[in-house]
Amino acid sequence: MDNIGHGGKEIVERILPKSAAIKRLSELRAAKVKELPVRLQIATEVIDIAYGFFSPLEGFMTKADVESVCDNMTLADRKTAWSIPIVFDISDDDLKKSGIKQYDEVLLTYTGNPFAIFDVTDIFSLDKKEVAMKVYGTTEDKHPGVKRTYQYQDKFLGGKITLLNPPKINEPFTRFWLTPKQMRERFQEKGWEMIINHQTRNVPHTGHEWLMKGAYLGAYGSMMVDKPRGGVLVNAIIGEKREGDYIDEAIILCQEAQGKYGYFREDIFLTTCSLWDMRYAGPREAVFHACLRTNLGCTHHMFGRDHAGVGSYYDPYDAHRIFNKLPDGSLRIKPIFNLDWWFCPVCDEVTYMGLCGHKDKKASFSGTLIRSIIQDGVKPPRRIFRPEVFDIIMECAEKYGFGSAFVNEQYLKNRQPVFTIEPLK
Amino acid sequence: MAEETYPINLWINEERLEKLQQAGLSSMCKEVLAGLKVLAVPNTAAQRDKVLKMFPMAKFDTATTKSIELLPKAVKDKIFDLVVQKKSLNIMDDFLKS
Repeated sequence: MDNIGHGGKEIVERILPKSAAIKRLSELRAAKVKELPVRLQIATEVIDIAYGFFSPLEGFMTKADVESVCDNMTLADRKTAWSIPIVFDISDDDLKKSGIKQYDEVLLTYTGNPFAIFDVTDIFSLDKKEVAMKVYGTTEDKHPGVKRTYQYQDKFLGGKITLLNPPKINEPFTRFWLTPKQMRERFQEKGWEMIINHQTRNVPHTGHEWLMKGAYLGAYGSMMVDKPRGGVLVNAIIGEKREGDYIDEAIILCQEAQGKYGYFREDIFLTTCSLWDMRYAGPREAVFHACLRTNLGCTHHMFGRDHAGVGSYYDPYDAHRIFNKLPDGSLRIKPIFNLDWWFCPVCDEVTYMGLCGHKDKKASFSGTLIRSIIQDGVKPPRRIFRPEVFDIIMECAEKYGFGSAFVNEQYLKNRQPVFTIEPLK
Repeated sequence: MAEETYPINLWINEERLEKLQQAGLSSMCKEVLAGLKVLAVPNTAAQRDKVLKMFPMAKFDTATTKSIELLPKAVKDKIFDLVVQKKSLNIMDDFLKS
């Protein structure tokens, strides 16, 4: 497999090898370059940029990129599709205090340790309300993406990032963390020519399982079945949490269970994670997910009903229609659109609106409904929810969730971080 | 035309089923989703809005089930107890007053 990512460009990796990083760090410190601590939101995106999850981005967006993303859904080159601004914000005060100027080289630190070099090429302001309207289609701060936009500080820095100090991914995420290049190597080892991505931030119920199996069968098409030539990649989004979400540990371990307990053959199934704070941008987030999974080496991407939406801001199928608006050749990944599915008591199985003729008898269920059942302390039937998955949720609640499988204040405050940046030595 | 209602689904585990059986109310349960038992407590639109305001962690599942979900278990236990006590599903006014 080649390493061509989104935009038809080689996957970006901007990481200094350890010995070079240590040398560079001492040079930077000797030259007394400005140091700037970053918060988790920014640190996460530094990692994403440096490993190529956001290829072809090499750094945080300049004003020209942000404006073009908002107006044209492309980067400033007007060719490369991109739907969500990736920005580095800073308060006026911090900007003044730090003395950072255009073309400065800045040492970013995280949790007190050296982290990355930021070549600042642009310093700018944005009309946050305008950005919110163009990206999210609303200016209501009830929308979590809009809220995040309004919470940005008033100035933004654009420029390239170089990672000095790679993150240590903590358990239980370690084995699920593969960089885009590692992901592609893994696919090659598995002999996969077709990789269907399933985007998730949930533990799986059989509706998800059914959709993945349907997508697999559909996409496998006329390929020879002499050996597995394709598989399903569950790429779980691990990032900023909201109260009531499943805890990250339950998400990743329950997804893995589908292969471990044979609901998928292990040789056609892989669970990994990507670090990303969901913006809930609905259709625009769907395009972003397509770019991200192109960089992981996927050939197909599933998009379900109400993909990455929130509340009633988007029509359930807006995230399908947006792909018709992109110029041909903008994406190197094929969308697979999933319609509505339900449990049919007549068919006695989870089925699909495109197949089942008992629509009047359907019993719809959703991730929210399943969460509600679990919160009530009820074990759903295996046709709806796999018992092994339920057991893992309960284990995770005890082991990682302070007694709850769902995010609460205690979890947000005391959880083990997904990654840490250790001293560079 | 009957007013549309927005249920709170009380999912029935063994403990709740036993209480319903003791009160002679087990026939109030519906079987949904491959045999899963539920008591669907109806809410008017106004009651739904009050519940969502009182419990901001709850969610009205607009997309799929049109039901009020993710109420804390303690709150649902209280609603369940009221159903058993009043032997009726129409208890939301009493619940909201309490």
